[in-house]
Amino acid sequence: MLELVEVYKLYQLGDEVIHALDNVSLSIDDGEFVSIVGPSGSGKSTLMHILGCLDTATYGTYYLGGQPVQSYSRSELALIRNLQIGFVFQSFNLIGRMTLEENIEMPLIYRGLPASERRERVEQALNRVGLWERRKHTPNSVSGGQQQRAAIARALVTEPTLILGDEPTGNLDSKTGTQIMELLYDLNAEGRTIVLITHDDSIARQAPRRVRIMDGRIIEDDRSGPGKVALSPVAQEAIETVGATLPLVRPALTGALI
Amino acid sequence: MMNILQSFRMAFKSIATNKMRALLTMLGIIIGVVSLVVLVSLVTSATSSVTSQISSMANDMITVQITDSGTDPIKLEDLGQIESLSDVELVAPSNSSSATAKVGTDSYSVSITGTNNAYFHIQGYELEAGRYLLQSDLDNNAYAVVLSYEAAATLYSRTDVVGQKLSIDSIKYTIVGVLADSDSLTSSFASSNSVYIPYTTAMRISSSGWAGSVSSGISTLYVGAANETAIDAAQTETEAWLLARFGDSDAYSIRSNDTMADTMESVTNTFALLLGGIAAISLLVGGIGIMNIMLVSVTERTREIGIRKSVGATDRFILLQFLVEALVICLMGCAIGVLISTVCLAVVNFVVEDSTYRIAWWIVLVAVAFSTLIGAGFGLYPASKAARMNPIDALRYE
Repeated sequence: MLELVEVYKLYQLGDEVIHALDNVSLSIDDGEFVSIVGPSGSGKSTLMHILGCLDTATYGTYYLGGQPVQSYSRSELALIRNLQIGFVFQSFNLIGRMTLEENIEMPLIYRGLPASERRERVEQALNRVGLWERRKHTPNSVSGGQQQRAAIARALVTEPTLILGDEPTGNLDSKTGTQIMELLYDLNAEGRTIVLITHDDSIARQAPRRVRIMDGRIIEDDRSGPGKVALSPVAQEAIETVGATLPLVRPALTGALI
Repeated sequence: MMNILQSFRMAFKSIATNKMRALLTMLGIIIGVVSLVVLVSLVTSATSSVTSQISSMANDMITVQITDSGTDPIKLEDLGQIESLSDVELVAPSNSSSATAKVGTDSYSVSITGTNNAYFHIQGYELEAGRYLLQSDLDNNAYAVVLSYEAAATLYSRTDVVGQKLSIDSIKYTIVGVLADSDSLTSSFASSNSVYIPYTTAMRISSSGWAGSVSSGISTLYVGAANETAIDAAQTETEAWLLARFGDSDAYSIRSNDTMADTMESVTNTFALLLGGIAAISLLVGGIGIMNIMLVSVTERTREIGIRKSVGATDRFILLQFLVEALVICLMGCAIGVLISTVCLAVVNFVVEDSTYRIAWWIVLVAVAFSTLIGAGFGLYPASKAARMNPIDALRYE
């Protein structure tokens, strides 16, 4: 469960103070699929960065799994990002001089898994997004859709409970965009919480819950979206084996730190 | 452990993708290491050859210079007292002056030394022909002379001159012996046409104008220790005797060839230190080059740092990654530098005849240690700069 309580994010821009987030309170249950929609500059990216522990709120509290995030140290936050959160960015954010395979393997190295287990997990993730044949390619030599699928593979290879997508379809044509969305729905169907940032209403409307944000404030919280999305066979199977909801597990912070 | 292994893999990968830049960065370290290793190796090789020559000299010899004999100069008769010291075997007086020798109508400048039989044994001089000066020569104030090999060669162009008469400062001497040639360092010190006459003869002729010093006593003493191990004891005993005699440690100076070797060594060590210091500065400059490139690299890879942090890299891992990269560049430069140094010395040995310059491995160790230190030292700032970055600031960096 994610919970923001009266969160502010302020930036100093010259003499002016910008309210990127202005008293935002929001709570997202485990296993929800939430889209956060708003025009550019509305604060939705800032919101995502705070939810993903990449950034901290100026005021207010963010509870992750019931624990206030500001109580964590920098390395604890790194561990939380590694264990619980997967990011999918609009610009893919793959490292150009590494192959797709190496990009996907990277979070597992930081987790300290042995090589054999890493290989196994990377193979699964590659197969899941259909990039096994392309694993030796560098990001620059594959299409945008394939890059985004690699980024999703990197996000899901750690088996996170929360996946944050920042305009994941923004740089893609509508057909590949749809494929990416389907992947995200599959992941949600496995019980993972999905938070999707977008400026595109048509994409936001596909989500069961839609939060509209404007000038740093939440102006709409609409739970009237499609209750359930059609599940792919893979997702169906995953639900049967994993269970419908994956509880957020607070990582065993001591000892696991690198 | 695993982190470090992974960091090394990442470092090699990053260096491999930027080969040219890495090589140029290494260049500073390479030049530094080569200059350090080659210069110090050259100096230490030269040092060891000089010191081995010094120690090949009669190293059971103690030299005493009487600088201020005052009213009671050391006479020939006093030498018996020194000789009776338990660790002393031989004592020789030596008063030298320059003189003119005449052979036919040609004049030569020679160095003339009044001494005794022990002198030749202490110095380790061998005979080419004839005999040394004998005690009987001293007893009789004989006009006998022993020529050094060089003197015989210069004056006569041959060495079988025993029995010939030689006029030195208008006094006729009979040549009784010629010393053998030797290529040791001592003989090259003494190579200037030396001739040796009995001390007593030198004393007698000094009253007619030659070397006023003789009448004021013996100016230089050579003391031979009973054996090489007794040299320190012999020196201590002789010094005690001299102090008792003069009551003033400023009246004389005493040294052994050991002290000479020590002095020589300290001189060359200073030299090595100086050259090493200069080379170390160039290594330092190389280190600053590494820091420069690492700072550029951190800026260039800001986004990568952001990505790595977003998937869970801790500050420590990022620090390690950049630190190890700096270290690897440094150590690779060091390895290449050592390789080039070996080649350089081989070339010197090939070009310069009779030279056996060898790489001084201790300086290689110093170079490696220094490079590691530089890599770590100058890598630390860029690495910690990378590690301290905020994930979101790094990720948004364009």
